[in-house]
Amino acid sequence: MKRGQISIAIVLLFLGMMIAMQVRATQQAQQNVPTARVQELTTRLKEVKEERDSLVIEVDDLRTKLNQVSAGGSANQAIRDELIKARMEAGVLPVKGKGVEVTMNDSPKELQPGEDPNLYILHEEDLLKVVNELRAGGAEAMSINGQRILATSEIRCAGNTILVNTKKVVPPITILATGNPDTLKSGLEIKGGIFEQLKYWGLVATVAKSDDITIPGFPGPVTFNYTSAVEDSGS
Amino acid sequence: MWLPLLGLIIGIVIGIQAPSLPQAYAQYMSVAVLAALDSVFGGIRAGMEKKFDDTIFITGFFSNTLLAAGLAYIGERIGVALYTAAIFAFGVRIFQNLAIIRRHILKK
Repeated sequence: MKRGQISIAIVLLFLGMMIAMQVRATQQAQQNVPTARVQELTTRLKEVKEERDSLVIEVDDLRTKLNQVSAGGSANQAIRDELIKARMEAGVLPVKGKGVEVTMNDSPKELQPGEDPNLYILHEEDLLKVVNELRAGGAEAMSINGQRILATSEIRCAGNTILVNTKKVVPPITILATGNPDTLKSGLEIKGGIFEQLKYWGLVATVAKSDDITIPGFPGPVTFNYTSAVEDSGS
Repeated sequence: MWLPLLGLIIGIVIGIQAPSLPQAYAQYMSVAVLAALDSVFGGIRAGMEKKFDDTIFITGFFSNTLLAAGLAYIGERIGVALYTAAIFAFGVRIFQNLAIIRRHILKK
């Protein structure tokens, strides 16, 4: 039996060694990898944000220069008007006028156990529908939480947030729109329309007419990397 | 009885002191540990049934362990989760052996 004991001892030695190593490896796996990843992503996020901020400053600077050039005595008045009109169309100029202010928020209702929270929060589709309805009602300029809606703007779901012009917007959402206040308001509140759908899920949505809506311009650059004008389309 | 226990303690100490296992091999190691546990339970059972043979025990321990790790490795290479087969087989056998050991102890 002595020999048996030795063999058992050897086997247990290996077993103990393997278990100890495995336990250590698992502990490391739980500690190191996620924190390292989080740190990496945080650094990256910070870099990108700084880059974005510096680009915004650069655009601002260039706009000022452009303004100075167009304000110069040599510039023709007609060209200047045309420029302002074009920039208004592009959405880079702040604008003001009559319009509506739409506020939207998640449902204030307490969630019952077992209920899907997705049903009671605002989604990008809800924003899209409201924006679409406002456009159909003849809105001339629009912004969501200060983000000007351009021809190229996206309203998009990204994880648990909504992106507009690649910036995060979070409820409460305020949509400003210029246009005929009555048309815009009734378009949203029409029976069977978007507001009725939103209220069905308990989401908060209100619209108020206003004579003085100020909509900020788009602060970033509008670039065309792949697109150029067709020469002889002349309009 | 003290010799196997001593072996286990020394093993744990070596395992704690040894350089840490690369992350990529942790999965193979986990299956191998399971195979090793299976062999140990099998050995205890054989001892209870009075037909313990140390050659069979030792070869069984190492072949089971290596085969389990090898299966996990091959499974990963060919994209089939073969290690689940090893986990399943060894898991079932560990519980079976445990049941038989329990019966032997209760009968005494």
